[in-house]
Amino acid sequence: MLLPSFDYYHPQSLPEALSLLGEMGDQARPLAGGTDLLVNLKLKKLAPKVLLDLSGLEELQGNGTDEGLVSLGALNTASRLASGGPEVPGLLAMGAGSLGSPQVRNRATLGGNLVTARPAADICLPLLALGARVVLAGPSGQRQVSLDGYFKGPGYTVKEPGEILTHVLLDAPRPGVGGGYQKLGLRQAMEIALVNVAAHLELEDDGKTVALARVALGAVAPFPMLSPGAAQVLQGAPAGEKIFTEAAEAAAAEARPIDDHRGSAAYRRDMVRTLTLRALRQALSQAQGSKEEQA
Amino acid sequence: MSKQAITLTVNGVARQALVEPNQTLTSLLRDELGLTGTKHGCGVGDCGCCTVILDNETVNSCLVLAMQAQGREVLTIEGLAKGAELHPLQQAFVDAGAIQCGFCTPGMILSAKALLERTPRPSREEITKGLSGNLCRCTGYEKIVEAVQDAADKMSEA
Repeated sequence: MLLPSFDYYHPQSLPEALSLLGEMGDQARPLAGGTDLLVNLKLKKLAPKVLLDLSGLEELQGNGTDEGLVSLGALNTASRLASGGPEVPGLLAMGAGSLGSPQVRNRATLGGNLVTARPAADICLPLLALGARVVLAGPSGQRQVSLDGYFKGPGYTVKEPGEILTHVLLDAPRPGVGGGYQKLGLRQAMEIALVNVAAHLELEDDGKTVALARVALGAVAPFPMLSPGAAQVLQGAPAGEKIFTEAAEAAAAEARPIDDHRGSAAYRRDMVRTLTLRALRQALSQAQGSKEEQA
Repeated sequence: MSKQAITLTVNGVARQALVEPNQTLTSLLRDELGLTGTKHGCGVGDCGCCTVILDNETVNSCLVLAMQAQGREVLTIEGLAKGAELHPLQQAFVDAGAIQCGFCTPGMILSAKALLERTPRPSREEITKGLSGNLCRCTGYEKIVEAVQDAADKMSEA
């Protein structure tokens, strides 16, 4: 399968990339891992005149922690995130590790997954549950956007064509916090989820009461969505089967699945209930585990 | 935009080529450098036939631009054997009957090589996960998994 013709630019700094992007407008597309963009070019879904390869931008590389806040560069590959490390929350590592195949994970990037914004995106769901924010750099400076409000539709976000997603910001992993990720597909690799759920739990010092919870649902709305109902049920309640079942019920009620060739809406709604329950159990076990480790 | 000259290392040898912006790494290897061991399969990153090792990581070369290989190191299936002596993975694939039509084999072996470098004694599950980006339509995978296990055993003894 052939690529259409385009010009290729390889800027060496963020200002250079932004200025090229400003000059060329929507004729240009930033290129990160290429696992979506190059496929879309080959399938003739997109025909940009210019590809701006972001791999030379130092500003988009590397991770750091500052005062309890982790900053992850947009060019982190899914493989790098899946291998974890002190800055990467377990929930994000789980999602990144379930994306595509090893070859795809070695190229696909954090920023690419967020900009491509598919409804079942394996990196987007954990980040949404983790309460992440993205940093968008544009001609008039930087802005931060909470992920809850970033997604607008399949492949469509609040990012303007002249902007480049440079970083993701989230709370540093800490004791008493746990995550669960559940992905349902017809096969175990190279799969777009039929339904996927990411759950994030923060426990009070008693190791039992839920201080804060977020449940993110994938493939059941035009974009990755949070379930406010599930969060509300969980907050302030003692973590356990009773409250998890109620939260799963709330998540299923809020999901907005459609019938398609991969599964029916009714089946997807049932699976939201099941996967939410499993993800919450997994999150609790991780949260309590991290608490014991500290003690 | 016209062709540009790039330099890269392929199987330990410095190479130069003139490439178009829309040329893939698969095309650079096959059409410019004559290394046809790398196969062109689906072209969209699903089948893994075009797998090569780029700076120690497996990639689908159909989704890498030739220009993105500038200054980098590529290992293809042609770089594995030492003269007439096959790499232990290649020999194990032959011995186990893990090759039928052979189209997936170069990619399969390179994915297996990357796996064994990280995990020298993989479990069956680790092997199937490690090869999950490579499709085979002939063998049913059983003999491929056996071959990787055999090669892992031989390579750890050595």
